[in-house]
Amino acid sequence: MKAFLCAFVLNLFLLLPASAQVLVFTAIPDEDESKLQERFGPMGEYLSKALNIEVRYVPVKSYAAAVSAFRNDQVQLAWFGALSGVQARARVPNSQALAQGTEDQAFWTYLIAHKSAGLEAGDVIDERMRGMTFTFGSKSSTSGRLIPEFYLTERFGESPNKVFERVGYSGNHSRTLRLVESGSYAVGAINYVVWDRELAAGNIDTDAVKIIWKTPAYPNYQWSIRGDVDARFGAGFTEKVRGALLALDDKTLLKSFARSAFIPAQNSDYEPIKRTAQEVGLID
Amino acid sequence: MSALILDQAYANFGGTTVLGPIDLIIKPGEHVALVGRSGAGKSTLLSLLLDRRRRDMALIPQNLGLVDTLSVFHNVYMGQLPMHSGAYNLINLIRPFRRQILAVTAVLEQLDMLPTLWTRAGELSGGQRQRVAVARSLFQGGDVLLADEPVSALDGPRSEAVMQALTTQYTTTIIAMHDLDLARRYASRLIGIQNGTIALDLPSHSVSSHDLDALY
Amino acid sequence: MHSTSQDKTRWNALSAPLVRTSLWLFGIALICVWLADLQIRSVSPWAELIRLGHGLIQPDFATFDTAIVALLRTVSFAFTGVGAAAVLGMGLAFIFHYRIVQAVCAFIRAIHELFWALIFLQFFGLHPITGVLAIALPYAAIFARVFSEILEEGDQRAVKALPAGSGVISTFWYARVPDVWAHLISYISYRFECGMRSSAVLGFVGMPTLGFYLESAYGEGQYGEVGMLLVIFLVTIASLRFWVRPKLVILYLLAAPFFLGTGLPIVWGNATRFITEDIIPVPLRNGEGIAGLGPWLSDLLWYQALPGIGTTIVLTQIALVGTGIIALLSFPLISRQFVSRSGQLAGHSLLVIGRSVPEYLLAYILLQLWGPSMLPAVVALAIHNGTIIGHLIGRQSSELKLRPDAVGGFNRYIYEVVPRLYRSFLAFLLYRWEIIMRETAILGILGITTLGFYVDSAIQELRFDRAMILILITALLNIAVDSLARAIRRQLQLRTTPTTQTPLQP
Repeated sequence: MKAFLCAFVLNLFLLLPASAQVLVFTAIPDEDESKLQERFGPMGEYLSKALNIEVRYVPVKSYAAAVSAFRNDQVQLAWFGALSGVQARARVPNSQALAQGTEDQAFWTYLIAHKSAGLEAGDVIDERMRGMTFTFGSKSSTSGRLIPEFYLTERFGESPNKVFERVGYSGNHSRTLRLVESGSYAVGAINYVVWDRELAAGNIDTDAVKIIWKTPAYPNYQWSIRGDVDARFGAGFTEKVRGALLALDDKTLLKSFARSAFIPAQNSDYEPIKRTAQEVGLID
Repeated sequence: MSALILDQAYANFGGTTVLGPIDLIIKPGEHVALVGRSGAGKSTLLSLLLDRRRRDMALIPQNLGLVDTLSVFHNVYMGQLPMHSGAYNLINLIRPFRRQILAVTAVLEQLDMLPTLWTRAGELSGGQRQRVAVARSLFQGGDVLLADEPVSALDGPRSEAVMQALTTQYTTTIIAMHDLDLARRYASRLIGIQNGTIALDLPSHSVSSHDLDALY
Repeated sequence: MHSTSQDKTRWNALSAPLVRTSLWLFGIALICVWLADLQIRSVSPWAELIRLGHGLIQPDFATFDTAIVALLRTVSFAFTGVGAAAVLGMGLAFIFHYRIVQAVCAFIRAIHELFWALIFLQFFGLHPITGVLAIALPYAAIFARVFSEILEEGDQRAVKALPAGSGVISTFWYARVPDVWAHLISYISYRFECGMRSSAVLGFVGMPTLGFYLESAYGEGQYGEVGMLLVIFLVTIASLRFWVRPKLVILYLLAAPFFLGTGLPIVWGNATRFITEDIIPVPLRNGEGIAGLGPWLSDLLWYQALPGIGTTIVLTQIALVGTGIIALLSFPLISRQFVSRSGQLAGHSLLVIGRSVPEYLLAYILLQLWGPSMLPAVVALAIHNGTIIGHLIGRQSSELKLRPDAVGGFNRYIYEVVPRLYRSFLAFLLYRWEIIMRETAILGILGITTLGFYVDSAIQELRFDRAMILILITALLNIAVDSLARAIRRQLQLRTTPTTQTPLQP
């Protein structure tokens, strides 16, 4: 047992890698993991070449884990949703939103419904969905929860918990789609990028599920970087990363993000999201 | 019923033959006492007989086979489980039928066990437990009784009563026992077992003390 | 005689304390069923379920390489965690007679390992030590209690016979341990199987074990991969006794820490910040003082803790009775008293599947089938725990010696076997009461609004102050149920540590 303990303690030290010159980044798990790997594996390679340092992508299991890793300095760069970005930057001094996709300036969410719900598509949310079952995506998702919750509350005058017979959190957009398609939930909220892509790929049974409402536009995903990277990786590192992101013109890589290009972003772009989150009660 | 027949029967335990080969015929109406030292093979012989035929046979094994968590009533009733449907038995387990209670009560009265009707078998003394097993076999009925030391924990008058009841109810009995006096009085035939074979097989009235001493 | 027998007919099964306790539990569960939402809502689950069935029948071995690494990690986490816990637990068993040690251990083990993992994730991030501690800490607390109980039950005569001045350590190893050694080892090996499951489940929160891939594959509908992952996990569990040999265990323990993977570097400042900042209630952090704390706390208690406690209790009570029913139905499958040798083998396989498939996954599958309600959670918990108890009492029933002419079939079941096993059945069931309640936490993450749901929400919203209070309440609730179960066991004179008597091994 003693030998075992020694080995164990020794090993813990061995496990601490020399990490000073590795840039680690992550992304919120808003979609299926294999899709994330497809997208961020090549992204890591691109950044590594552009920045000339080792870059590593780490997948995480939840939005909160992505924010925590960023906050805990285990990752220095992250692809966040609007809400997770706001949460993360609030916890890391001088951290910045670096860049967003062109499409992220005006993002939207669809409410989708199973045909058995008998809901009609329209310019306003169909009031007959009161009393049905409803699923969000992740609990911390901007497009899968915050925005739809905001508009549902506005429409019905009370929180979704009271409006619906049951409110679920599927975990991500792909699952929301599957749960509504199978009729497990009558209505769900899904971001338009995932819906459009799955539709184009022929993965949606359009006889079973359809769009019934589209939210107004809001700002969404962005790359955020910690405030202390310049001290760690050398002066001007932040701008170097921003430059690399804006210069990205690899069509396949951009397509995997479903973005046409990355454009500069700043923290103030997300002020509206912060206020909305406070209103909904998701941040203190 | 027909006769019980063992033809060159033997029993193996862990590769060695512990009993037999044995030839034995027990005719209907015989009351057989199996005697001999402990470990001589009496129980083994009983289990060989039990293997022959099962339908009309009742058994009182040496370990009694009581369910300690059930009441005396239920333990006795278990003698007649095969005669009723599963559903009937299940209901009787939860809420005993009056008919069955009366029947069991009659048997227990005969053995002076009535006060323990609803006592759990696990709470009884050794002698009482033995009488519950006896009551179960009496309740079961049939033609043939195989019993392994059914009165070993009972005092004189009680063992007399039990032997009386068993030999009266069953036309054929094969009972392993230690008490030679009791054996001679209630059995018509004495079979002595020694080292796994039949060392003595006589009508009980013609067995001498000398014959028996040789066995022990 | 007639008058006495008249009185006697009034007797019924209700007068037996064991039966009465069972009926109480059953009655409470019935009330809970009435309170609970058990409706089946799904409309068209069949397409998805057929795909799932296909995947399970035809596992897809394309990602076998990754899975084998994950399996290695799963085993390593289990060995390192359970090994460390055994050492720590033995140490704690020495001082377990102190009230304070008992209380601390009760508190630690009342928190599900997933929650420990979520807490340690804040400390250490995605580092192997997060997973190791998440297993080691609660397991050490369990070991401490069970070890001390086992040692107490041991024969003390040898201790008294030792010459004066033999020393605590020598006395311990010479006179106390040898007597209970087999007992200790069998308990540790039982716990190791649990550790394997815990280790796999930690993948759900990001540890690199099987659960990590299982969760993704299931979430993505890659059912072939799900099938493959389940197959290798079940085979590993079912074959434990072939590859976990006493001599090899030492080797495994030495090697395991080296196969945990690297993860991300630990930043120590996080641990301090977590304790001094994150878990301090927001009103205090913002300087609103005690005045601000009141509304914050009452809000939390009224809108989250209270409904969470309600759902947790309702779910637990229904699942408890469901567990009992599944256990009583499933144990004959592996019992010598009811089925042939080959039948027992088939029964064993079925029970291994039942108890090894993580309840989280089971609930998720059933969620597809029945739609969102408490039903999938109840059934998942009942199957998982019921097959564990079924396994334990099934093995006991095989050891029973019935009289040679005992009846067969259903009559044997109700008269000969169940009455003999009912005591230990109830002991096991009461023992699992608290475990079932702890497991409802995991299902909270699936959206069943137990306390676990609110804890998960708080953590997802990065409100660790709320999470800590809710975890505290969860722990207290578990401790309360555990004490209640112990009191009932004492009242009925059921053994206190049932699992230690019959180790769980396939």
